[in-house]
Amino acid sequence: MKRRQAERIAVYAALTALIVIFLFPLVWILGLSLKTRLQVFASPPLFLWSPTFENYAATLSRADFGQAFVNSLLVSAGAVSLSLLVGVPAAYALARFSFIGRNVLFFALLSMRMLPPIAVLIPMYVLFSALGLTTTRTSVVLAYTTFSLPLVVWIMRGFFEDLPRELEESAWVDGASRFQAFLHVVLPLIKPGLVAACILCLQLAWNDFLFAAVLTSNATRTLPVLMAAFSGGDTGTDWGGMTASGVLVILPVILFAFAAQRHLVAGLSSGAVKG
Amino acid sequence: MGGTTTQAAGSARIARRAPVQRRRRMSWIDRNFPRMAVLPTTLLMLLVFGLPLLFSAWLSMEAWSPDQSLFGGIYAGTDNYQDLLTDPQFIGSLVLTLEYTAVVVTAELGAGLGIALLLNIDLPWIGLFRTALIVPMMITPVVAAFCWKLLVDPDHGVINYFIGQHIVWLGRPDTALLSVSVVNIWQNAPYVAILLLAGLRSLPHEPVEAARIDGASRLQIFWHITVPLLRPYLLVALLLRLIFEFRSFDNVYVMTSGGPANATMTLSMYTYLASFVRFDLSLAAASSWMMLLISVILCGCFIVVVRRRDAL
Repeated sequence: MKRRQAERIAVYAALTALIVIFLFPLVWILGLSLKTRLQVFASPPLFLWSPTFENYAATLSRADFGQAFVNSLLVSAGAVSLSLLVGVPAAYALARFSFIGRNVLFFALLSMRMLPPIAVLIPMYVLFSALGLTTTRTSVVLAYTTFSLPLVVWIMRGFFEDLPRELEESAWVDGASRFQAFLHVVLPLIKPGLVAACILCLQLAWNDFLFAAVLTSNATRTLPVLMAAFSGGDTGTDWGGMTASGVLVILPVILFAFAAQRHLVAGLSSGAVKG
Repeated sequence: MGGTTTQAAGSARIARRAPVQRRRRMSWIDRNFPRMAVLPTTLLMLLVFGLPLLFSAWLSMEAWSPDQSLFGGIYAGTDNYQDLLTDPQFIGSLVLTLEYTAVVVTAELGAGLGIALLLNIDLPWIGLFRTALIVPMMITPVVAAFCWKLLVDPDHGVINYFIGQHIVWLGRPDTALLSVSVVNIWQNAPYVAILLLAGLRSLPHEPVEAARIDGASRLQIFWHITVPLLRPYLLVALLLRLIFEFRSFDNVYVMTSGGPANATMTLSMYTYLASFVRFDLSLAAASSWMMLLISVILCGCFIVVVRRRDAL
């Protein structure tokens, strides 16, 4: 009994050490964001101080931050809506029916998710320039579908496969068309799947830097692009402002993470491992 | 009014006849439902993936510059590829990326497995630890990199304060590569851990119980029972991480932009500089096709592994 208790303490100690290692950088950054400029550069560093919210107030009143926030929101929502609209029926067909080209579609979706984004970005940039689409949010939304569409199809296919086939079949027997059965019988039952796919795609889109860095201008840039501009080259002296904006950028994704915790594994492995 | 009556009569007739018809033959729409359901996805994929890749293949065999019209380049055959393969910077970048990928992925898998084993122990409050650990892997990579940039700052960074030395982490080739790697390991070891934890939770209990009754030590159980059973999950984690580390860009861009002295010049960074800084888009297209080739090999391994696992 005593040995078990000692073991338990050892495990908790190891876990606590782990949490400290993995969360310290973020906690320290959060701390910096709550310091005044003098406190940030105090030597030795301050571990106890009365927090100030002036950095957050300054960040939130910046016009470029607000603009980038709106842009991030628009392109993420756009990419996710487009992917869901287009991808969910495809996922259903892939899960339920056999048709010519099914395996090709599978392979293409998987490649789309796995191949390096820069390979698609270069020709996209040239083609979008020729069409006058670069620096528009539309171009970013289209670029984001290269990762969000495969993710939606992959996650949703898993959810459709877990649903008993009898549900639609009885609807078909009752005279519903394939489309009606899909819309009125199947879709309402996989709402949790839709939510999971939605959150995981939002996270990816929100976090993307490469596509947005190339395909946006100052007016259409997203938050990660703005953050990279803040920190490019020299780190400068406005650490309070930079860390405050960093915290504001990652806050939504941390909330997503907690919301989608149950479905993380399905999304991470793109369906390769069923949790 | 009259129209409505006719319509009602018409629909009644259809309603009476429809079930018979359906039994005999599905309507055209129903027969083609799967094809129509995948049509939008197929079109979108052609638009944002198929077409760009084809164009990029063509671009890589041209000598094209942005001031020319879209198809105004001169045919260059394999010149761009030959230029790349004789460019010491590209070869250096290729070797660096492969080494970096191997080291980072090994570290992520090692750390991830350790964390997964710890998180698999059933204890009160363990859920809280599991939840806390997913935070690093969810956050924006650019922000993560820039947080670490402040942590390793030579003058005001807290890491130099802790170790009591003045190290210019991002200014020296060896420490710069180490810093860039640590950020990715920090972000993605939890990712591996969560994946492996799912594997551990799904393993059967009987083999472990049997071995314990037979008097096997914990290390023996881990090495001879848990690891072999976990192998499919380890392989999936390994290949996914290989594929995603191979394209590392965000952390490099923010922390070092490939420097100092190309010490952190990953292939993505090299290709980015060639395309969107020097605007040598034909060469960059060739470079990205080399990356594609390597990724296709990795991806092929991934599909083989997943297929084999499904068959089991």
